[in-house]
Amino acid sequence: MDNTQQSQWRKAMSEFKTLKKRRWSKRQKKEALWGLLFVSPFIIGFLGFMFLPMLFSFVGSFTNYNVTNRMDFIGLNNFRRMFTQDELFTTSLYNTAYYVLFNVPLTTAGGVFLAVLLNRQIRGIRVFRTIFYLPSILSGVAVYVLWMQLLSPSSGLVNTILSWVGISGPAWLFDPQWTKPALILMRMWSVGGAMLLYLATLQNVPRQLYESAEVDGAGSFKKFLNITLPMITPIIFYDVVTSTIGAFQIFQEAYVMTEGGTGGPANSLLFYNLHMWNQAFVARNMGYAMAMSMILFIIVLVLTFINLKLAPRWVHY
Amino acid sequence: MNKISWGKKMRYGLVLTAAPLLLAACGDGGTANEGGGDSPATDGDTNNESGEEVSLEFWSFWGSGPRRDAIEAIVEDFNESHDTITVEYVYQPWGDIWTKALAAIAGGNAPDVIVQDINSVRQRAEGQEATNLQSFIDEDDISGDFYPQLWDTVVYEDEAYAIPFNTDTQVIFYNVDALEEAGLDPETALATWDDIEETARTLDEGSEGNWETIGFYPRWNIGADVWALNADGGVSWFDEEGNVAINTPEKVEALEWLLEWQDYYGTDTINQYEAEFGQGVADPFISGLVAMRGQNINYYTNLKENAPEDFNFGIAPLPEFEEGNGNWSWGGGFVLEIPENTAHPEESYEFIKYLTSPEVQERFGLNSFDIMANMEANENLMTHEELDEEGQMVYEMAHQNLESTVITPVPLNAPDYISLVNTQIDAAFLRQKTAQEALDDAQESVENLVEQYQ
Amino acid sequence: MERLFWKGGIYIATSDVLAGDKAQPKVKREHFKSQKRQQLIGKIIVYIVLILVSVILLAPLWWMVSTSLKPMEEIVRFPPTFIPETIQFENYAQTVQAFPFFKYMRNTLFITVFVVLGNILSNSFIAYGFAKIDFPGKNVLFALVLATMMVPGFVTMIPQYILFTRIGWVGTYLPLIVPSFFGSAFNIFLLRQFYMSINNELTEAAQIDGANHLYIWSRLMIPLTKPALITVGIMSFNGAWNDFLGPLLYITREDMYTLQIGLQSFQNQSTTQWNYLMAGATLVMIPTVLLFFFAQKYFIQGMDLTGGTKG
Repeated sequence: MDNTQQSQWRKAMSEFKTLKKRRWSKRQKKEALWGLLFVSPFIIGFLGFMFLPMLFSFVGSFTNYNVTNRMDFIGLNNFRRMFTQDELFTTSLYNTAYYVLFNVPLTTAGGVFLAVLLNRQIRGIRVFRTIFYLPSILSGVAVYVLWMQLLSPSSGLVNTILSWVGISGPAWLFDPQWTKPALILMRMWSVGGAMLLYLATLQNVPRQLYESAEVDGAGSFKKFLNITLPMITPIIFYDVVTSTIGAFQIFQEAYVMTEGGTGGPANSLLFYNLHMWNQAFVARNMGYAMAMSMILFIIVLVLTFINLKLAPRWVHY
Repeated sequence: MNKISWGKKMRYGLVLTAAPLLLAACGDGGTANEGGGDSPATDGDTNNESGEEVSLEFWSFWGSGPRRDAIEAIVEDFNESHDTITVEYVYQPWGDIWTKALAAIAGGNAPDVIVQDINSVRQRAEGQEATNLQSFIDEDDISGDFYPQLWDTVVYEDEAYAIPFNTDTQVIFYNVDALEEAGLDPETALATWDDIEETARTLDEGSEGNWETIGFYPRWNIGADVWALNADGGVSWFDEEGNVAINTPEKVEALEWLLEWQDYYGTDTINQYEAEFGQGVADPFISGLVAMRGQNINYYTNLKENAPEDFNFGIAPLPEFEEGNGNWSWGGGFVLEIPENTAHPEESYEFIKYLTSPEVQERFGLNSFDIMANMEANENLMTHEELDEEGQMVYEMAHQNLESTVITPVPLNAPDYISLVNTQIDAAFLRQKTAQEALDDAQESVENLVEQYQ
Repeated sequence: MERLFWKGGIYIATSDVLAGDKAQPKVKREHFKSQKRQQLIGKIIVYIVLILVSVILLAPLWWMVSTSLKPMEEIVRFPPTFIPETIQFENYAQTVQAFPFFKYMRNTLFITVFVVLGNILSNSFIAYGFAKIDFPGKNVLFALVLATMMVPGFVTMIPQYILFTRIGWVGTYLPLIVPSFFGSAFNIFLLRQFYMSINNELTEAAQIDGANHLYIWSRLMIPLTKPALITVGIMSFNGAWNDFLGPLLYITREDMYTLQIGLQSFQNQSTTQWNYLMAGATLVMIPTVLLFFFAQKYFIQGMDLTGGTKG
């Protein structure tokens, strides 16, 4: 398409704008039907698979539900217990907030860094991309067990490597000060998932932009700051929102690495979801766990709302 | 139609359609669970006496290796010797099997027989997840075949809800060569807490920061709770009446003793080795770096499979707090249960009875080296000709140790108390609190928890 | 019409810029030379960084592979060995024989193929609706999409299981496959972000040309956002391939089990076959690695299209 075509477009657009004043509601109706058609799979799936379970757990949060034979309405007792009696509730909330606070910025920055590093046409780049993505392919118990070995204070690979550069590494999973950093380190290792997103986005950045910037004499850092970064803000936004939600729900690594969910040294790995799991499946206080999930939902909802409100200031579509 | 009214209508619509759906779901759930009140005997009548073929689904977590081979062979023999019952064995992953079982019970499609954790039988009885087996026991009382403390765990309000299958107990494994070299006799060297401390000092080689051999560190693989129970005459965090018994003088003394050990070796050394002991990957005991370790007696399987041929080890009970106090130890195990609302409780019970009979128990133990719940089976294994001397010794040790082994089922009045106690104990080991303060605080928070449940 | 328009005052594709693409920038020879030298140094630095990061990322994997090759006697030895002293390739043979490995692999693949297909189709469809069409209640619905991500799975797990029991799906692959055809919040959100960054003028122009949304979605959006769709595909593959909780809950027969469940059979109450577990984890990883390696090609293709060099 060339300039003439484009001006034709503009012309058509302005004609259309005068037209649509008259036929607005008819057109809107048609659009609305299209819109509903497109999002209908989600609506159907939501009503079919998610709505009832979610409503059930909402209702359950006001009961003493135990999964099998008990579900009496107890008003706000669960919430009262959470904020006034449950000593571990605050511990779990603190641990989770700590993890989210460090994990989200670090993985986002890490993902962008690796993607930018890999977004070039050089020999062997496909191999490098595969290597960088590899760690995020692994999942399940084997990875966490693997990391428990790597983080072993005396014989683990991490401290061995640190000792080569003269650093005497901490006791990681055995020192309450270092348990959460250990988990954040582990998460950084599998930052390849986020990297994949950014790499895909970078493909959409037109090369001409860089080339014209080069003609203007812009350096690498300037190019990154003025071209790359703004172009990938929609995905940074996505990454921040979803990884915040995800980080609040950290569970499996803590469950495996604290021998069945006991919470680790001085409860330093007792994350919110781990506490919830113990309440639901160990103590059989499913109603209480459902109430906890409501609170978590509200916390994450508020944070997401803030994110959405701040987005127009820095996200360029 | 403006936007606001649209949204409002949507919301009303959702509530209106959702309410009956939810009620229907709850209603169904309710009836399904209430149906469980039927006594198993009546259910059985309709199914069994007609003589038609019944097939049972049996879940356990024995997924590979000798345990799986053993259970499959046993199930096959059962099927061959029973014309009208066919059992199908289904493996479920270790640990997750119980989550799946709970979902299946809630969903009303549970299997016929499940291997469950011994410590939570009463919880499941209370929650009507397990079938009441008392009518079968009344017909033919087999309760005396099992170690009494194991049987206690399956009884809820004077009625049985499960049958014990296997068990374990905490003991001391020691390196025979190391003790011999030091001229020590295991009989006396590990008798009391003082003795084991002295023995450890004799076996220690090297000094702080540079240990070549560590004699013994009590908290590797055995928790402070077990030592507290050992000191307090077999009383766990809850006494027999169900009262919280955390800050007793004996338990405080036990914690103080453990703190002395921590000071002696230093946290750095302890953390270094603890990582290895915790995961059970690299093993400092097999590697000869640690001369004695406290451990579940099941550890014998690891030694048998992974230790070099010439590795000599012995097993001793946990030392006595003071002479005459008793070698109190702690154990666990697994039970066989029939979930509520299954179609064939009578046939299922027949299968359970088969699995817990002396012959079958003996056979399972012989192949897996598990300590069985049936006393006669363990006694037979003590002298079983197919076992080598070491194997026989393990069963002898286990049988003897089970006389003073305590099982600590989850207390119904505070099922989630354990993390509260651990918080305080950790605080003591981090030197944030004295032993007395830590246990006092633990006593208080668990008492609060018990109140929350009332 | 293949060209992209970027909003936000950053870039608007015009023929001028495209012309600049083909014409060599006129620069002095000397400047060109020093630029070349600079480029070479830059390249070397990039390679050093790439190799360094690779080594760091691969070290844990080396540990995994090395454990998978050791005999158990060596694994329990303390301190552990970084390079196996005895290499036991039989571990891999033992691993695939310990449970029906290839049958479970077929089962896993069956589920995964449908999940990937469902995810790519449904999520791009739904995301297009959210990104490119205005309709009343859109924001409320999108908030609902986001909200479904925020509810922790444990509390809905049991009710959901009961739901699937009621409709008779437990014991089949349906609870694992069917929901993926109705969109998943993470992917809807992701693709919405990609579609949002494509200028509206493109879709509006197409509409004026008489194209309906179905046509625009299938003929314009899908080809334009191939890298994004491939990404969703890779992530869905990874998710379904490694899913544990879903198959655990909903599959009731052993011959229908998946690889992740099979891998768990090496863990027992008292012993774990670490070498088999790690060998299994290594084997399970390979298909995803291969998929990623070959799917990368489409990243490049996507670039040609959106970069407009074919225009």
